[in-house]
Amino acid sequence: MKTPGQDTFEGQILALLPSLRRYSRSLTRSDADGEDLLQDCVEKVLARRGQWRGLNLRGWVLTIMTNLYRNGRRQTDRAPFVELDNAEDTVSVDPAPDPLERSRLEDALNSLSEENRSVLMLVVIEGYTYQEVATALDIPIGTVMSRLSRARQRIGERMKADNVITLRRPK
Amino acid sequence: MNEINQTVTEADLHAYADGQLPDQARGRIEAWLSDNPDDAARVAEWTARNADIRSLFAAYEKSTDADIGLVTGRRQPASWSKRLATMAAIIAIFGLGALSGHYGPTLFERPDLQLTELETLPNEARNAFLVYAGEVRHPVEVFANEEAHLATWLGKRLAVQDLKVPNLQELGFKLVGGRLLPVDGGPGAMFMYEDQAGERLTVLVGRNADNRSTSFRFASSGNIETFYWIDGELGYAVTGEVSRDVLRKVAEECYRQFPS
Repeated sequence: MKTPGQDTFEGQILALLPSLRRYSRSLTRSDADGEDLLQDCVEKVLARRGQWRGLNLRGWVLTIMTNLYRNGRRQTDRAPFVELDNAEDTVSVDPAPDPLERSRLEDALNSLSEENRSVLMLVVIEGYTYQEVATALDIPIGTVMSRLSRARQRIGERMKADNVITLRRPK
Repeated sequence: MNEINQTVTEADLHAYADGQLPDQARGRIEAWLSDNPDDAARVAEWTARNADIRSLFAAYEKSTDADIGLVTGRRQPASWSKRLATMAAIIAIFGLGALSGHYGPTLFERPDLQLTELETLPNEARNAFLVYAGEVRHPVEVFANEEAHLATWLGKRLAVQDLKVPNLQELGFKLVGGRLLPVDGGPGAMFMYEDQAGERLTVLVGRNADNRSTSFRFASSGNIETFYWIDGELGYAVTGEVSRDVLRKVAEECYRQFPS
């Protein structure tokens, strides 16, 4: 397959794909869901390329992905569909010391609503300012702050279940 | 000083944790935090968690061979929306099934309550301990003198490659042996250990494809303590009539030795 030129629209999207992949995975519950969301987003972006105003391509794509995620998730019932992915599908470049701690954190993230999760991830993963989140999602900044606050509170509660004792695998 | 500090809001604390404040404002928040340990703890928790979340997803920032196909329109089949459609279809089919079950003859009695392995594991572990730890002559099927055979045999039944029987010598427990037994409706393994005083404890391992990893949890019943956890598809439980502290060390040691 021919690689699209760097200054073509496709080429610019291609260059964004790695970081888009990280963001889409941060919104979803499994590697497969993350890839699917990424694929749908790219498909939509390509189809709508005429609507892009020529500025901040990345921001435009992130907004499209966030909306796809929020709309898509709303269509399903809230039952968590959990998949255990094949070990070879997961890459661990920088694993947290304790795999159980990682999975507790993922569980806590999976317990967030789409609204709260996407605000948190835009801030934490994408490094958006609160104002940028407000603009990207077309919501008031006060709403950004309350969603962020709720997300953090919820994670905090989930992470300290009282009959759970955290052990660290000694190195 | 205090008058200025009183204007610190929760939003300021978030902004501080997220590195969204100019230097001058940071100084003001830091002064506030040094006087308000509760807020300082919250901010520290958020900051650490930000790093954990970034670390959790950092590895996904990569390109794949399929990326070019993705932007040139030659994409792979299954997609987010198709999967949702599939889900909807599955739900619809189950819905039909449920309806026909309601109006038709009852073919399957659905159990009242489906417990996940996380819920059944501590009970199964306690029962296995009660039944086998008291056995004098036949506590296990395969004794420790055939440890290699024990590991291969039970590893095969559990579909675990290179199953290692945990070595708890450093904690003063010697392997007695092990046996095959049902765990969560499938083949499971039990290993038994005893210390010099003859105090026994058991380690139970079971597999369930529906499992999701958890942290360590404990359950008590009378004097019997169980530590249990799920790592991937495998559920583990360590049970004994020993102190929770000892058992926790055993659990920690098993967790360290079992493949993750």
